[in-house]
Amino acid sequence: MRRLMDSLHQAIQALADHKLRTALSVLGITIGIAAVMAVSTISKGGNYVVYSELQTFGLNSVWVYRNWNTENNGGRMRPGSGIVANDYQDLRQTRTSLGIRHLTPIVNPDERWQASQQRRSSNIQLLGVGRDYPTIVNDDILEGRAFTTLDIAQKKPVALLAPTVVERVLDPARAPVGQVVRIGNKRFTVVGLLAGKSRDFLSSIGSSGGQNANDRVVIPYTTLQAMNGEKDINNLQLEVEHFDEAALVAERVKRRLLQRHPTGYEYSSETMASYIVTTDRILGGVGVIGIVAASISLLVGGMGIMNMMGTSVLERTREIGVRKAIGATEKDILYQFLLEAGLISIVGGVLGLLIGTVASVALAYATGFPVIPSLFSIVGALLVSIVVGVLSGYLPARRAARMKPVDALNTQ
Amino acid sequence: MSSKQSLIDLVGVSKSYHTGSLQVDVLHAVQLSITQGEFVAIMGPSGSGKSTLLNLIACLDVIDAGEYCFAGQSVRSLSGDALAKLRLQSFGFVFQNFNLIAQLSALRNVELPLVYAGVPRMLRQTKAKSKLEQVGLAARVSHRPVELSGGQQQRVAIARALINEPDVLIADEPTGSLDSETGLEIMQLFTALHAQGKTIVMVTHEDDVAEFAHRIIRLKDGIIVSDVKTSRSLLCVD
Repeated sequence: MRRLMDSLHQAIQALADHKLRTALSVLGITIGIAAVMAVSTISKGGNYVVYSELQTFGLNSVWVYRNWNTENNGGRMRPGSGIVANDYQDLRQTRTSLGIRHLTPIVNPDERWQASQQRRSSNIQLLGVGRDYPTIVNDDILEGRAFTTLDIAQKKPVALLAPTVVERVLDPARAPVGQVVRIGNKRFTVVGLLAGKSRDFLSSIGSSGGQNANDRVVIPYTTLQAMNGEKDINNLQLEVEHFDEAALVAERVKRRLLQRHPTGYEYSSETMASYIVTTDRILGGVGVIGIVAASISLLVGGMGIMNMMGTSVLERTREIGVRKAIGATEKDILYQFLLEAGLISIVGGVLGLLIGTVASVALAYATGFPVIPSLFSIVGALLVSIVVGVLSGYLPARRAARMKPVDALNTQ
Repeated sequence: MSSKQSLIDLVGVSKSYHTGSLQVDVLHAVQLSITQGEFVAIMGPSGSGKSTLLNLIACLDVIDAGEYCFAGQSVRSLSGDALAKLRLQSFGFVFQNFNLIAQLSALRNVELPLVYAGVPRMLRQTKAKSKLEQVGLAARVSHRPVELSGGQQQRVAIARALINEPDVLIADEPTGSLDSETGLEIMQLFTALHAQGKTIVMVTHEDDVAEFAHRIIRLKDGIIVSDVKTSRSLLCVD
């Protein structure tokens, strides 16, 4: 420890004697670490945005619906969606054995609807759903309540409103819950407000998942069926018990539906899991490319240190000779130079961390991604910079350490 | 008395250097014995091998053939680090161009061997100060080498050479970079150290410097051609 303090003092002294050269080497590492930091923070922020937007669909979601694009059964195609309330009830009862945690019917007729109250009105997305819908799609109820079993069973005219609808249609002067809105020719009582959901990133990349969720009006599916005079359910949305089993559960549900409707229908499914696996792959790939690109600049920084240490060893050959003559061992010399390289990289690493943080915040501001600081990336960046510095310093330092004292002394 | 004990023993020592495919023999079967407390000057024309001989004695270089025993122990098979330890404990070095470390103060230069010996800082500084005092530089402890005259730098180097209380003081042309008056001061310092019992082995090409020694060894073409006691040794009572 005592010896370390001495060596540290000498290393600082030696670096201070060559300020410009030291500063340039530090800069190399600083840029490298800052680049790694910024890239990893921004890709983390990007990942967060993508996954939190995917989460608005429910990460464990599976959709099962009729496949219309088949010509099976000798052209004996039947009309309708092939899913009715009884199918839903049947699946509800057997859900545990099928690997389903929650299940909701979705009724979403194609036509555009409007919601209105007095002179205020807005285009809306009307969805008829079951009781578990908010749970499955991770909807938060800001005020009021979700649907009860009774609401569904009695086809009550109750509605949950997403923020855009609340803003455009409800009377701002009164409490939102309890107000009445007109949809089609029916009057609905607002029982709950849904929290807003961001899908800006998905919609900005033109994904079909970018569909706005903030103009929804959610009502009991039984109510919507009654309004339209239909019995069809457009699709079933499930939350599977285990993420990994999504595809398996989808197959089970389709088989069960086929058993209940042996002729005239085929079923398709989509799983959130398959999108997430694809997303993982893409984001993982992009992240790796970014880190590799940033690491190259760190590598260049390391070469800067190697270059500086090489020059330093050459310049100080005589000093090395003197030190060896008066009793320094190979280790003493090795540590001395490694310490100098290590100091450069620690200082460079800390500066890089600061600049990287500033760059991350700036990038986050520009992209709208959140800044997600991570202890792992901070500690990682520092460790990497030390390792880079010490590895880069090692070869020159070893050359210095192994010099014969008489040769080192005779160098001019 | 310990002064009669043989400290440095070279038996049939040879050394050659290779430059490309050329082999240059620098020392041929050198036979030399130096006892504790001696003040020896090694002289000879350039290329005679005097510096090589000094480097071998100081364990800065290793012999090719023969045997070298220091204080009764063969150093031939010692590793680089073992030689470093031996130099640290047993030798002090004074060079023609002082070889102080430029970025360190006089005090830090002097205490450097003790750093490598692992001596605590407080003790190191106390010792270094007293050595600088001994060479007459008490007022210059915090000066860097560039702020000192040649003679002062050489005094710092001598203080550094003495800090670890070595058996032998090795001096390679210690007055070579100094004017004659300053050189004389340095040689008076050597004389005083010798009087205190220090063994000194010095290379020089100046006769008046060699005159301070008690024994002069002359080399030519890698062979010892003469080995005589000087008049000074006669004044000394062994």
